[in-house]
Amino acid sequence: MIQLTRRHLLTAAGAAAVAAGLSACSDDGEGSTEGLDGKRAGAMEGFKAGDQFKATEPLSFSIMMLSNQAYPYKADWPFFKELTARTNVTLESTAVPGSDYNQKRSVVVSAGDAPMIIPKTYHPDEEAFIAGGAILPVSDYVDLMPHFKDKVARWNLQANLDGFKAEDGKYYLLPGLHENTWQDYSLAVRTDVMEKLKLTAPTTWDDLTGVLREMKKAYPDQYPLSDRWSTPPQPGANNLFNLVGTSYGTRAGWGWNPMEWDATAARFVYSGSMDQYRQTLEYVHNLVKEGLLDPESFTQTDDVARQKFATGKSFVMSCNAQTLVNEARKDIAKLPGAKVAKMILPIGPAGATLPGHTRLENGIMISKKALESKNFVAMMQFIDWLWYSDAGLMFSKWGIEGQTYTGKVDDGSFKLDPGIKWAGLNPDATKDLQVDYGFFNGVFAYGGSTAMLNSQFSEEEKAFQAEMNKREIRPVAPPAPLTIEEREQVTLWDSALKDHVFQNTLKFALGQRPLSEWDAYVKELEGKNATKYVDIVNKAYERYKKAHG
Amino acid sequence: MVGVTRGYRVFQTVNGFVLAIVVAVTLFPFIHVLARSFSGEQEIRSGQVSIWPKGFNVTTYEKVMSDPIFWVNYRNTVFYTVVATAIALVLTTCYAYVLSKKHLKGRGLLVGIAVFTMFFNGGLIPNYVLVSSLGLRNTLWAIVLPNAISVFNVLVMKAFFESLPVELEEAAAVDGSGTYGTLLRIVLPLSKAVLATMLLFYAVSFWNSWFAGFLYMDRQELFPVTVYLRNLIAGATSGTDNTATSEAALQIAASIQAVTIVLIMLPIMLVYPFIQRYFVSGVMLGAVKG
Repeated sequence: MIQLTRRHLLTAAGAAAVAAGLSACSDDGEGSTEGLDGKRAGAMEGFKAGDQFKATEPLSFSIMMLSNQAYPYKADWPFFKELTARTNVTLESTAVPGSDYNQKRSVVVSAGDAPMIIPKTYHPDEEAFIAGGAILPVSDYVDLMPHFKDKVARWNLQANLDGFKAEDGKYYLLPGLHENTWQDYSLAVRTDVMEKLKLTAPTTWDDLTGVLREMKKAYPDQYPLSDRWSTPPQPGANNLFNLVGTSYGTRAGWGWNPMEWDATAARFVYSGSMDQYRQTLEYVHNLVKEGLLDPESFTQTDDVARQKFATGKSFVMSCNAQTLVNEARKDIAKLPGAKVAKMILPIGPAGATLPGHTRLENGIMISKKALESKNFVAMMQFIDWLWYSDAGLMFSKWGIEGQTYTGKVDDGSFKLDPGIKWAGLNPDATKDLQVDYGFFNGVFAYGGSTAMLNSQFSEEEKAFQAEMNKREIRPVAPPAPLTIEEREQVTLWDSALKDHVFQNTLKFALGQRPLSEWDAYVKELEGKNATKYVDIVNKAYERYKKAHG
Repeated sequence: MVGVTRGYRVFQTVNGFVLAIVVAVTLFPFIHVLARSFSGEQEIRSGQVSIWPKGFNVTTYEKVMSDPIFWVNYRNTVFYTVVATAIALVLTTCYAYVLSKKHLKGRGLLVGIAVFTMFFNGGLIPNYVLVSSLGLRNTLWAIVLPNAISVFNVLVMKAFFESLPVELEEAAAVDGSGTYGTLLRIVLPLSKAVLATMLLFYAVSFWNSWFAGFLYMDRQELFPVTVYLRNLIAGATSGTDNTATSEAALQIAASIQAVTIVLIMLPIMLVYPFIQRYFVSGVMLGAVKG
């Protein structure tokens, strides 16, 4: 049996990409919406935003269908039946187990055998396939997609899309679009302890320090904050680092990204050597120093962190909407009078803002083969309707009005049919929206308006989101696409740099290395080519700006 | 018993004691996994389960076994394993037998070709393109043919055949037996040990294999059960789906690995006792030659 590692696969994919790239050099016929005359079979005339797409003849498109573990793919889902009834399109699915979706995608795309529609691709995964020429530069065809264009314009997402562009000024992925930044993660806090100690909810991170100090005063033998989500390779307490880092205006923990855009200097800088990164470390280190943050937070497993929270040994722990309800709240059920809630995300020096780069979701690649089809235009219209129109999103998410739900999301009157369960809704119902109907499938249902997103939340979460939505969205970094050679070069530097940053982040946070050595640490990063890395990215930024404006 | 010394009795006691510990150490993981598979989520998470199920719960078994696709895939695994093992056994025997004949011209080259593939192969994508353009995708043959001959197994078998006395085959030839007659009537009946070993090697490897099925099958009803279970485990442990975290999902997340191991291990474990006595002598036989 052939044992495959990711490295084998990458090598193979790379080799295939190079081979295909060589052959692709000869064809320079760049697709544009004018040259599509022979490809309009089944397409609608004058398709525009707000229209229901319905092919003028029965069509079928092949699609790579991720079979989710929680709701394995079924060909007879009502979703597919209703989809065909509404659009005259039948989807021919290649079922791929979600466990190894990316691997199969690499193989079939590189082998030139991919279905027309390849969803569930997370940027920048599509970059690996660009050189091979197996996927379409979708930005050339967005004129066929009125709903997509409408949402990009109304929600001001062009800058985000620009960040997806390759060196040729085109993007190759049709991402899901969010109207707003969805801040799901925050800290869970024991509100009964807050009440008992007469503490007010913290607004800023410094307020939080104050709250933790009071808790420490009342319970001097305990660490009030003991955190979870410490899976390597990041330094540990990855959610906490992400939240604090974001509030200080840098990238740390889960949110780590080597490059951060410095808007005032109009250039990219290395996140790990930013002064904001130092401030983040200082903040976290002070928590450790004062005994407010459990030093084991950076290494312990989630189960251990949860047990500490469950037994009342800690009062604050990272959470998201799901873990708050399913884990934290259940865990403390045995503690008399214990209550837990999601804390409104504290504000840092970066102000009441949220990063803007999370507004694009995973998305769809289109196989180059699809362009040869006489139904290409109809396919793009179909994709536009299903993934980007409000009607299409509502359909793929909640199903059929009158059958699976009633009401509207815009005025809040939406209600899931009581006989159908989804996540926390209607837990006693016998039918499952995802398993039995095929709706709310991660392949189709993501992104959309804030009202649409709100329709899936509990009242408690809606209140949290309402606060979050008041925050301003920060501008995103401009595009700085690298050439293949540049990317290879920085990848080599990146892993060594990243290791060094992560190791030292942990040391600084725990106090094993004093922050007075910060300058020495920055020098070490320079010794590992951080400056050269930044220079390459800034050069790419300048080059792109010159070429594409 | 007559003539049993006191020393021997002591030895027996100590021996039995030591072996009992070895048995316990070997059995513990199996029993532990079995216990976990029947335990409740809270008990598993807090590490209370050792060799006896706590908070008895069969939600995960129900979830896995109530899915018709699970049984379809299970049937596939059995079918793929039986057919693939049979074919692999025939082809491997033929190849190994031929290579064991010293008078074969170009024998070195044939061995070389086989060994070459142990170190070099076409790579993933060329293999995929090959299987795809031969039209084998979504058929049993995509799983069977590319893995029909394991070079390691060929070499073990070849060594075994070489260790058989040449005189036996010469005697058969004198009595008028042809090549195939000798192989079928003389050599194979004497090779039960190595055949059983090969049977076990191939059966286990096809039973456990998921990659070929995953790569070459595009429809759910064609997957082997290993792909099904792999998907289930990945979903339960990675939590890629942030929407499905119901009570049952938590239970499943906690015990899915144990349930999976039990379900997938049972059939192949039941095969072992029947083959084991051949297995032990088989491996040894190939090893000590001359």
